[in-house]
Amino acid sequence: MIIMNERTLAFIKQAFKEYYFKNAEKIIAPIRIKEREFGYISFDKIMIRHLSFQNEGDLRAFFIKEIPRSIYYSCAYYYEPTLTMDKKGWNGADLIFDIDADHIPTKCKKEHDYWICKDCNLIDKGKRPDKCPKCEGMRIDKENWVCHSCLEATKDEVIKLIDFLLEDFSISRENCKIHFSGSRGYHVTVEQSDLEELDQLARNEISDYISGIGLSLESLGISKRVSYEKMHRILPLATEFGWRGRIGKFFSEMDFDNYGNNDIRDKIIFFHDKMKYKNFDNFIREIVEKLSVKIDAMVTTDIHRIFRLPNTLHGSTGMIKKSCKDLLSFNPLIDAVVLSEEPLKIFVDHSPIFTLNGNLFGPYKSEIVNLPIMTAVYLIGKGVAEVY
Amino acid sequence: MEIEFGLEDLAKYPFLKEAGDYVKELNLSVDNLCQEDYRPAVERAKQRVIEAIQKNYISSETSEPIVELLSFPLALILVRAINVEYIIHRYSLAESIRSERFLKKEKKSIISYIFKSTFNVELISLQHELFDFKINLSEYLKRATYFHQPEWKLINRIVENGFVYLKTFELVRLIREEIRRMIYERMKSASLPSMPKYLKETLDEISKVLPTIPVDKIHRVAPENFPPCIIHMLNLLKKGQNVSHYGRFLLTTYLLSIGKTVEDIIDTYPKSPDFNERMTRYQVEHIAGMRGGRRRYKVPSCRTIATHSLCFKDKNLCAKLRSPLQFSKKPSFHKKSNTNS
Repeated sequence: MIIMNERTLAFIKQAFKEYYFKNAEKIIAPIRIKEREFGYISFDKIMIRHLSFQNEGDLRAFFIKEIPRSIYYSCAYYYEPTLTMDKKGWNGADLIFDIDADHIPTKCKKEHDYWICKDCNLIDKGKRPDKCPKCEGMRIDKENWVCHSCLEATKDEVIKLIDFLLEDFSISRENCKIHFSGSRGYHVTVEQSDLEELDQLARNEISDYISGIGLSLESLGISKRVSYEKMHRILPLATEFGWRGRIGKFFSEMDFDNYGNNDIRDKIIFFHDKMKYKNFDNFIREIVEKLSVKIDAMVTTDIHRIFRLPNTLHGSTGMIKKSCKDLLSFNPLIDAVVLSEEPLKIFVDHSPIFTLNGNLFGPYKSEIVNLPIMTAVYLIGKGVAEVY
Repeated sequence: MEIEFGLEDLAKYPFLKEAGDYVKELNLSVDNLCQEDYRPAVERAKQRVIEAIQKNYISSETSEPIVELLSFPLALILVRAINVEYIIHRYSLAESIRSERFLKKEKKSIISYIFKSTFNVELISLQHELFDFKINLSEYLKRATYFHQPEWKLINRIVENGFVYLKTFELVRLIREEIRRMIYERMKSASLPSMPKYLKETLDEISKVLPTIPVDKIHRVAPENFPPCIIHMLNLLKKGQNVSHYGRFLLTTYLLSIGKTVEDIIDTYPKSPDFNERMTRYQVEHIAGMRGGRRRYKVPSCRTIATHSLCFKDKNLCAKLRSPLQFSKKPSFHKKSNTNS
């Protein structure tokens, strides 16, 4: 990993400054701005928290004056956002979900993810080993990259999440804000719903519901102690709501040989009988795994967390946290790229092949290259390049 | 929706505002209630309190609704006069269980009315084979997270369009804690009237059945025999100093292992202004294996404790120990204790 030198840091700051000078009007205040806590990371790498803004104008003026490297706002609403945490006075929080490409197993990872031994600097692709094969050191860093394929897999999770929010929790589509995070995933923010008053424990339940954690076979009507005849009456159907409906639908859509009957309950009993309870239990767990959403539970249950402000630059990629009006057609590696295409000479230590704004770059290995500013900032942010 | 409650209904649910209003309109003082005519109400109040103390149960007597209704505020006065926190808790719980019993068999319209008027929760009645009501998701979650059994987990409920489906008995169980808290608060906030002689005598009779609260009965290790790491944590807490996350984990696993209850452990933590009982309870219950993955966590080994810089080893007493649990079992320890005694 390249430690950013002063020249490189000054370049990044200049690139951010130019962007914010030209695009200050694109910075939009979150709703109830006065009740939010703001925090930012400066180009001196200092985190400053407990800030508050009265209106959008003040917020935009702050960008021009400070040029933050990253800026965040609280999901929570406070009576006094500038006071210390214990004195702020919590008054509800948006319900936020974070879906990150890192949490979704995809085949492309072995093509673009690296691990680096901090002791001998050995770099290789693929899964991070427990110890370095060369020096046997245990201090091994991961360096994850993203590609269209893993970001599409992340998007599929967002689509599943929206279904849960709309169908099960009755959240209106307008109150579900979807943003590309500016780096490796998506944030889904639920605003103006009665869920905003829920505490951490209640959010834990919401998180478990969406992640498929803790589903009992009994809730599906499957029990060791009950006869098939009785079970048949209480097994899920595809027309039901919630998890029962999801499982019912899965069985109704499942094709398999040796079975001509289309009755879902018959199908479930057939499988249960064939597999016996324990294997059937595992089978249901696999189905749940498939139908659940890979959200980051830590994020959803944290009622004081701060999140990157939409339409602002991600300090480590130079892309923006971008609202996805039409999720299906949204392409983060094009739509969230905003910095200039002017060329700049940089030294790149290493990188896999990657795309940005529709162009293919890399792979690079200890070389000096002329790259557009947007790409230079992306590589510098990753810690693999510096201004030459 | 307005519902006209009969006297019998008010006797079943004496915590309702309507029941309070009814009694108020009778304009009876405590002195009046101790007159001959109302003695059955005082007797029933005494019975309520004694049943609660002895059996954690209050019988469902409704043959004379007015006696039943009047006995409730009298019982509150008696419990308030005893003024023992444990008894106030126990009584409010027993009263809430009594009301729960009636509510389980109640007409849907009355249940809906009570939920709306008393707890501001809107219920929607269902014509469904298995479920009787649906309740708003957020109202459900605010209450259901107090329960540990898997069936209360949101994922094991039917959730549709922002509503959770419930059977009557489940719905009533969900609200019981609020009824308890309501009765508890009422006793705590009420000022005690001057007690007529008859009521004082009744109080004396109740005092005879008051239990001696069991202290440390099941705890196999007395606090003075705790290992040094645990004593250190307890001292820090006593002084109001911060104990690290891992320190709290160590303390909780240790106390659970020697037979302390979740309640005992919550009481161990000081009630600082930012103390969150609900969160502490959640964490303690999680460690006790009552939540989440249902795994009961073991006391960390001495080596792990040392890794977290929480070992305050006593060279003699801790020598060669692998777990803090071995501390009080160690022969040298007993030798020392014996010599001291």
